[in-house]
Amino acid sequence: MTIRLSTESLTESFMATPESDSQPVISVEGVSKKFCRDLRRSLFYGVKDIAADLTGGRPHSDRLRPQEFWALKDISFQLHRGQAVGLVGSNGAGKSTLLRIISGLIKPDTGRVRVRGRLAPLIALGAGFNPILTGRENIYANMSILGLTTQQIKQRFAEVVEFAEIEEAIDAPVQTYSSGMAARLGFACAIYTEPNILLVDEVLAVGDARFKAKCYRRLYELRQRGVAFILVNHNSQAILNICDQAIYLTRGALVAQGEVNAVVDQYERDLFLNSIERSENRMVFPPKAAEESNGIDFRDLFFRDGDGQPTQTLLTGEPLSLCAVCEAHDSYSGVALDIRIAKVGGIESAGYVLSLRGQNDDAFFQLSPGLSEIRLQMPYLGLAPGVYSAQIRLRKDAVYTFDLVESFRFTVTSQQNVNKCQFYQPRSWSMVPVVPVSAGQLLP
Amino acid sequence: MPPELIYTPDSLLRRPRFLLWTMWRDLLASRELAWRLMVRDISAQYRQAALGIAWAFIPPVAMAVGFTLAKDANVFTVGETDIPYPAFVMFNTALWQTFVDAATGPVQAVIIAKPMLARVNFPREAIILAKLGEVGFNFGIKLVLIVGLFLFFRVPVSWTVILAPVALIHLVLLGTLVGILLAPIGVLYQDVSKSLNMIMGFWLFLTPVIYPVPTEGAFGMLVALNPVAPLLVTTRELATTGVLTEVVSFWVVSGLTLLGLLLTWVGFRIAMPYVVERVTS
Repeated sequence: MTIRLSTESLTESFMATPESDSQPVISVEGVSKKFCRDLRRSLFYGVKDIAADLTGGRPHSDRLRPQEFWALKDISFQLHRGQAVGLVGSNGAGKSTLLRIISGLIKPDTGRVRVRGRLAPLIALGAGFNPILTGRENIYANMSILGLTTQQIKQRFAEVVEFAEIEEAIDAPVQTYSSGMAARLGFACAIYTEPNILLVDEVLAVGDARFKAKCYRRLYELRQRGVAFILVNHNSQAILNICDQAIYLTRGALVAQGEVNAVVDQYERDLFLNSIERSENRMVFPPKAAEESNGIDFRDLFFRDGDGQPTQTLLTGEPLSLCAVCEAHDSYSGVALDIRIAKVGGIESAGYVLSLRGQNDDAFFQLSPGLSEIRLQMPYLGLAPGVYSAQIRLRKDAVYTFDLVESFRFTVTSQQNVNKCQFYQPRSWSMVPVVPVSAGQLLP
Repeated sequence: MPPELIYTPDSLLRRPRFLLWTMWRDLLASRELAWRLMVRDISAQYRQAALGIAWAFIPPVAMAVGFTLAKDANVFTVGETDIPYPAFVMFNTALWQTFVDAATGPVQAVIIAKPMLARVNFPREAIILAKLGEVGFNFGIKLVLIVGLFLFFRVPVSWTVILAPVALIHLVLLGTLVGILLAPIGVLYQDVSKSLNMIMGFWLFLTPVIYPVPTEGAFGMLVALNPVAPLLVTTRELATTGVLTEVVSFWVVSGLTLLGLLLTWVGFRIAMPYVVERVTS
């Protein structure tokens, strides 16, 4: 033990040694937490717990008292250096509670958590911002709360201001900032604490698309540097982009953990309750009863090739149709498809690659009860090879949504060389002789 | 690499050495943060007030004017005071206010810091230290008033004035003890902050602030049992006449304060995670 400690302190700068790599930075072992929904009783339990702890411990912290429930039950996982884990689960699944236990804010009721390394919670955007004080003063206060010394803050100050893009407003009170500016400042403060472990909770919902993309880029850079992540996001897209592992929680219980695609798939399957069949580049939905439906439902999403035959191979540059088989329970007019496609993975993955909206193209359809197939014909598939995720909505008059598929994932491949291209450009080459023109004569 | 942190459901009291070590470590670690928070709070406090720093003077002056007028009109009678009555009231009020600041400060500060406490795991001691610093700062401003007062009324000052800060610190620590004791419960139940003003008003009544120490009757007994009295009286006596009347009770209260402060600090540390878990979700 002593030997290991001393070698560790000697080789502090060699953190990337395989020995320290094999040690998890976070290890959660059988953690449970109970909560109470009734406020009065909850406060009373709080006082009771404090009293019990002050007299030497809570003997039955693993049993539920009246009106309590398990917010987390028996969760175990490990996080290694440079790994990124996504936490998925519906509201109230215990994701934030788990993050709060890991950051040491609240005590687990059973089990234990071990943390090695500097941990920064990105749950804390703008914690301690005082609206009366200037941006400058707030950066100092906020970053000291996050655990930096004044010296360290001075060193990073310029970078923080630059990242947050508030140079001209730095000496104005924070209450004069727009909500986006305050959020940017909060994010910049948190991200420049240079942690080894970053807990990110839904914070990337702030700011405009460009700043969001910048945040994702920064997170990506940090990951390359070996920072470990735990990311909570309702948008499975973000999880797929950043994480390689995922954990799926439902009502405090760990349902699945492992490779990100498999876990997110399972989560999405459960999210839409019914048994959606997913195969390569296709999604089939079971029929819905009329009372569960909002009028029209998706039944099948797939592709057709240039000859109109269903296909599972999507080739860059070839003709392709995206087909949506819909079941209407009544007659509707003004129905349009709204398709947004984003690339999965990689640094440039924030934002949509394509946003194709039927209502912008005046592509409204009249649906009568029964099945109909809406097709989006693309003379050339412009997407470069890769994995994409499409969000598809079935809408009426741009306001009402009949049905929504959060993430229809498909893979595009290519037979030709489109490396180094962002998209496929249909093209032809030719050469024509040029007739010399004399001076003074107008060009055609 | 920072040392490994382990979070378990077990009580920290079962590992007293570890507990004391983390208390010491966090106290050291929170110095800079406490300074930042103090600077933040003080600048925010005076920035949105038109009268600014004058707010530190107004309460003792108002109190002294009121009671001096009332006394001159013979609304009530008080015994002989060893310094002129207006100076006596103003000086005592400044000391009493410092005690009240130290007692109510931690409760208010922890309540205000709730969103921060719920999200970031920083040394909680920093909030208390920042508040102590603020109490010191506010007293420093009042000191200007007191010096002016002493010059104006030609109050005799003994050499013992250099010892007065020691007694004052004990007074502030007693206030902090009360504050830290109430802070965790104050976050859970609003009853604490609601009743705090009332309690302080009643407590003021039992403290020799507007009257000299009574020696007789049931009231004299009550005042003698008030722990603030010997600290406040001794601070005043050290600063003025230099003749001490409550030496024994001063040391008894001081000793109990220091011991009690350590115990409430342990309690505060143990209680805070439970408090944080109950106030937010």
